[in-house]
Amino acid sequence: MEERPDNAKRDGFLPFYTNAFDRVFISAVILIGIHLLWLRFMEPALPIEAATVISLAIGFVVVRRG
Amino acid sequence: MRNPRTGWLLLSPTLIVLIIFGFLPFLYVLFVGFNEWNIFAAEDGMRFNGLDNFRRLVFDDDFLNSVGLTAKFAVFAIASEVVLGFLLAQMLTRNFPGKSLFRIIHTFPLMVAPIAVGAIWRLLVIPGFGPVPFLLDRWFDIEYLIGTYPDQALLTSVIMDVWHWTPFVTLTMLAGLSSIPKEPVEQAKVDGANRFQVFWYVTLPFLRPVLLTTIFIRIMDAIRTVDEVSMLAGGGPGTRFTGIYIWRVVFPRTDYGYGSSISIITLYLTIVLCWLLFIGISGQGKDEVE
Repeated sequence: MEERPDNAKRDGFLPFYTNAFDRVFISAVILIGIHLLWLRFMEPALPIEAATVISLAIGFVVVRRG
Repeated sequence: MRNPRTGWLLLSPTLIVLIIFGFLPFLYVLFVGFNEWNIFAAEDGMRFNGLDNFRRLVFDDDFLNSVGLTAKFAVFAIASEVVLGFLLAQMLTRNFPGKSLFRIIHTFPLMVAPIAVGAIWRLLVIPGFGPVPFLLDRWFDIEYLIGTYPDQALLTSVIMDVWHWTPFVTLTMLAGLSSIPKEPVEQAKVDGANRFQVFWYVTLPFLRPVLLTTIFIRIMDAIRTVDEVSMLAGGGPGTRFTGIYIWRVVFPRTDYGYGSSISIITLYLTIVLCWLLFIGISGQGKDEVE
């Protein structure tokens, strides 16, 4: 078990230690960012629902493994 | 005393005020952001339009330019304020003749309302009337017209902001410097550290929380700057910041739905920027913790 600065924080693949709130926050930030970029650059090719699926998948990975 | 119910009970007045005056208005703006709502439109009332406001926003060159301009303004103003504020705070930690008087005069700009600061600087730089264009023309042969040249308007806005807010940074830095224990500084000097090394390896790490808080407050203030700059240049070229753009969309154009969506995205950008800065400056990274 690797030593951690705070027992409530987890050592995942993110470059800093995070607790559950941090990971949900990061997922929300990524979700909004992906949707905005999708609206700007990708929407003519693929519908916005694709952005939702991708960002939810990324969010799930961040919350579970981040 | 450690009963959680007592804690929640003591927190409840603050939480109630925060929910009523902070969280509920935020939810309302978020809701309006997904609606088309213009009181002068043919259809009365709000009409749900999904992501249309956000779709419009990502292609709105005026909004995107205002974000870039606000970022430029914030970077130049905050960097100048932090450097100047730190130097002034360092100066105020030493004794010199007239220190008390200097400290009083130095904090004067903080007492002036932003709209009055804008009016003062407007009087200073108004062409054909203010002393700044007159002296720049006479001494350096520079044509100074903030209504015509965007760079001059931006530079004047930055200088005005620095004039107004550097005292605040100085005071917070002074508080931070005063709280640094003397022992580590003296130990570093005994070990042969020069002034820069003392600053970099001792003073700066101790100042980190103060620096972080000050930069956060200044970023949030800089991004929502409206009154000062509006008074100075009337939102002319070089000063069309995000706050001024939101004001124009919401009030003269009464496009409440679109204005709300811009406000939400501005809040999003502010939060992301502050969070990234927090990760960068606070030393939360794994390398720094280990």
